[in-house]
Amino acid sequence: MIMNKRLQGFNITIIVLSGIALAYIAYPLVTLLVFVEPTMLPHGILRPQLTNALILSLFSATISTLILSLFGVPLSYFLARFKNFPGKFILRVIVIVPLVLPPLASGALLLGVFGPYSPIVKAFPTVEFTQSVLGIIIAQTYVASPFMILASQAAFESVDESYENIARVLGKTRFETFFKVSLPMAKTGIVIGLILSWVRAIGELGATMMMAYNPHTISIQIFEDNAIGGLRNAVPDIILAIVLSLIVVFVFYIMRRQRQDALRIQW
Amino acid sequence: MVELELINLTKKFVGGFTLGPLNLKVNNNQILVIIGPTGSGKTTVLNLISGLLKPDGGSIMVDGRDITSVPVERRKIAYTFQNPSLFPHMNVYENIIFGIKKKWKDMNNSNVEINSLLADLGVSQLTHRRIHGLSGGEMQKVSLARMLITKPKIILMDEPFAHLDPSTKRKLRIELRHILRRQSAPTICVTHFEDDVYALADSVCALQGGIMEHSSTLGSLMKTGRYASNDNDSASRVLPNILTSIQGNNYLEGEVIKSLGGLTTFKTGSTLLETLGNYNTGSKVGILIRPEDIILSKQMVKTSARNVVRSKVIKFTKYDAAIVDVFMVADSFHLTSRITEEARADLQLRQGDDVFAMFKASSPQVVREEGKEEG
Repeated sequence: MIMNKRLQGFNITIIVLSGIALAYIAYPLVTLLVFVEPTMLPHGILRPQLTNALILSLFSATISTLILSLFGVPLSYFLARFKNFPGKFILRVIVIVPLVLPPLASGALLLGVFGPYSPIVKAFPTVEFTQSVLGIIIAQTYVASPFMILASQAAFESVDESYENIARVLGKTRFETFFKVSLPMAKTGIVIGLILSWVRAIGELGATMMMAYNPHTISIQIFEDNAIGGLRNAVPDIILAIVLSLIVVFVFYIMRRQRQDALRIQW
Repeated sequence: MVELELINLTKKFVGGFTLGPLNLKVNNNQILVIIGPTGSGKTTVLNLISGLLKPDGGSIMVDGRDITSVPVERRKIAYTFQNPSLFPHMNVYENIIFGIKKKWKDMNNSNVEINSLLADLGVSQLTHRRIHGLSGGEMQKVSLARMLITKPKIILMDEPFAHLDPSTKRKLRIELRHILRRQSAPTICVTHFEDDVYALADSVCALQGGIMEHSSTLGSLMKTGRYASNDNDSASRVLPNILTSIQGNNYLEGEVIKSLGGLTTFKTGSTLLETLGNYNTGSKVGILIRPEDIILSKQMVKTSARNVVRSKVIKFTKYDAAIVDVFMVADSFHLTSRITEEARADLQLRQGDDVFAMFKASSPQVVREEGKEEG
């Protein structure tokens, strides 16, 4: 009897606290409805500035994610498999820096590398590293990199090394083993990393503002519309962003479920 | 004839553990079982031979050729790990053909060979199944098929039955020896299970603390090691130190005389014994009997036990404070019975006494069966 009461008390506490957390997250979405003007919404969403910003964000985030998959996946494999080398801890810290650094600070650091007086710019004087699509991609890639690397590293670490050893014994080279065993077995975790880094790139504002305020990404467009006309002016931008987020969240949960299924059948 | 030879093979680990120097030879008609406790270096031996680990000294020779610095993928060695490690992103068939070179895969007769091996292993019906639907025994068989299809020069097995339930283990053990014998490749199997030694070994060696301590054929091991009546006998002094785990069971070899209705009679020496199960008449079987299953009596008494063996007590060894192992010789084989000190006192058992050792037909466990065709 006493146990039952204690259990009930526990359940009620959890439910109440969870309810507060959920309300805190959902309430801003509800207030959005107050500002929606249904007749103006299609016009607002179809504005060229907004559609261009959306297309630019989708393009730049996709390119950033592709760059991350090309360089981030090998780095995450390196971190997962090469365990005993001096300076490994420092390497792990470096990988996390873009995650813990305020995005504006990341942008400032990137400006140091790609700004007007940097050696790289002097080496490639015709390339526009800032205030360009390239600048956006550089900023998004930098800020989104930890999501890709950490998720892929965890995915590779979850693949038992015995699978790779078996492949080697069965006559496969290291490259063949990587592409036929390690990568497919870590695939779902890597895809989750790609989705997370893509989402982070889409939502990136601080570092992107420092590197390239123009052309506008969707985040900068929301920032600007809100600054000019308040929330009412930014509602179409936000609704577009919410729809995009919901699609990504949906894909993310499907992938995560697949990954859990894949992990369950490993010995 | 393929021969595997290790010459002064050594491996040092951070923390002080050193394996070797190891020296051994295995030819293509031989299954060598290395037995030793956890941490003795058994898996390291296999990792060194396969190339997954680099030795600090010594050589690995196959057919007189030094392969010590040959990369793993070019050694043509088959190696099964403790768990089957089947690739979960492939189905059974894709797993099995994973190690086959594309050139060979494209040849017409490759399918015939693949199907024949799958039929041999009893996994033909599994080919299009997904991995996660397989039982432990099926997984182990698929793992074996994947390994054997590559026509390896050397076969290495690390605790092949470690993850199997007892009944699957019993069945697979007998099948595995048949399969391995057909391959005609030098085979090394490491284990810490005594039963695996009886089921698979042509020869046995023990590894303890990284040192290979003893090597012998299974037959001579059983004869010289366990039943020496004199405690000063060199074999009886050495063996308990290196093969402590092998001291427990009674292992007998015999020939099946009759097998009908689930009851099999086999002959060991001139003694006829009975066990459960159906086996091929004329085949040679290896049988384990737990010493706890053997009852002793000084008089011939009528009981339900199907096996009664007249024996002579040759020595006693204390098992623990209350229990004693009674070593006996009967006909052409030896038996050990594990009884309490009280029972020994009640029976007034002494060295040289004649006793009747009795055990039920359900007690002997067949761990290997070799047909006439295999010699």
